[in-house]
Amino acid sequence: MQFFGGSEISPSPPPPTVSGNNAHMLYVFNRNGVCLLYREWNRPLKTLNPQQDHKLMFGLLFSLKSLTAKMDPTSAEKGNLGVPQLPGQGCSFHSFRTNTYKLSFMESPSGIKIILVTHPRTGDLRESLKYIYNLYVEYVVKNPLYSPGAPIKCELFNSTLDQYVRGLG
Amino acid sequence: MAAIYSLYIINKSGGLIFYKDYGSAGRMDTNDTLRLASLWHSMHAISQQLSPIPGCSGIELLQADTFDLNCFQSLTGNFQLEYSEKLDVWCWRLDKDGQLEPKPFCELVMGGLVLLGTKVFVVSEPGTLHMEYLLKYVYELYTDYVLKNPFYEMEMPIRCELFDINLTQAVQKDRVALLGR
Repeated sequence: MQFFGGSEISPSPPPPTVSGNNAHMLYVFNRNGVCLLYREWNRPLKTLNPQQDHKLMFGLLFSLKSLTAKMDPTSAEKGNLGVPQLPGQGCSFHSFRTNTYKLSFMESPSGIKIILVTHPRTGDLRESLKYIYNLYVEYVVKNPLYSPGAPIKCELFNSTLDQYVRGLG
Repeated sequence: MAAIYSLYIINKSGGLIFYKDYGSAGRMDTNDTLRLASLWHSMHAISQQLSPIPGCSGIELLQADTFDLNCFQSLTGNFQLEYSEKLDVWCWRLDKDGQLEPKPFCELVMGGLVLLGTKVFVVSEPGTLHMEYLLKYVYELYTDYVLKNPFYEMEMPIRCELFDINLTQAVQKDRVALLGR
């Protein structure tokens, strides 16, 4: 787990990895599992209502993290399965791929989770997620009208995010 | 250091039927491996449910900080675990006689239903190549030496000497590279 330096937005966003608009959706959760933001660009299949979908997504990430922490083959001291871990503690994961989508995941030191779902053949998106985290810090956290833990309703953030994710693909 | 850390085979209901460790740090006891296997089984199913596009068959590759997990799922399995909007719970898809409803494969996948088949997964060093070939080969070995063994009972733990021998050969580093060709 890397901790990030200053809160300045890096001057230029990381270069796009693939061409073509290939992002499906983006979730931002806080450390209590509250969905702060859900953006959807291309999602033909919806099996659940939004609330259930967010809960299921958070549950999946939480359980996958405890699975990777327990499975970590490089450390001898792993603790018990399912013990809650602080951000940055234990072995985490940064992406998984299925035949229809790829999910990239990042957790900030304060427990903000950013999840980006893209086309399965997208490359490594770790830098892009860090850039999105920077956008969050600049446009949301530094907004004096925003209270932490509330759903994000910043128009400027949404438009910058849309623009960046479009540019990603 | 071994390129492959461990290999698991789980049956259709999430029970661990085979586990082999090839040198990961800190040994896990049997209960831990059983728990991990059934946890993976459920996470695999949930990942199908969260797909933005119809036709998802679950996680193929999980990239963790210190390892990669490659998973292969057989196409033969049960369609189970359906989310019922009406009841607000996950439930088995049963018809009125209490039997699993028979439906064509494509219809089930398109309808957001979840396929639960036999799964083989391998934990390896990050960036290890050709794991999908190894998994397919292990599944072949499973069908040849386990399923065709008249003394083997379906869905039960695997105890077949020939399977063990052939598996050990396949997992050796140079063989994995060969399988990729």
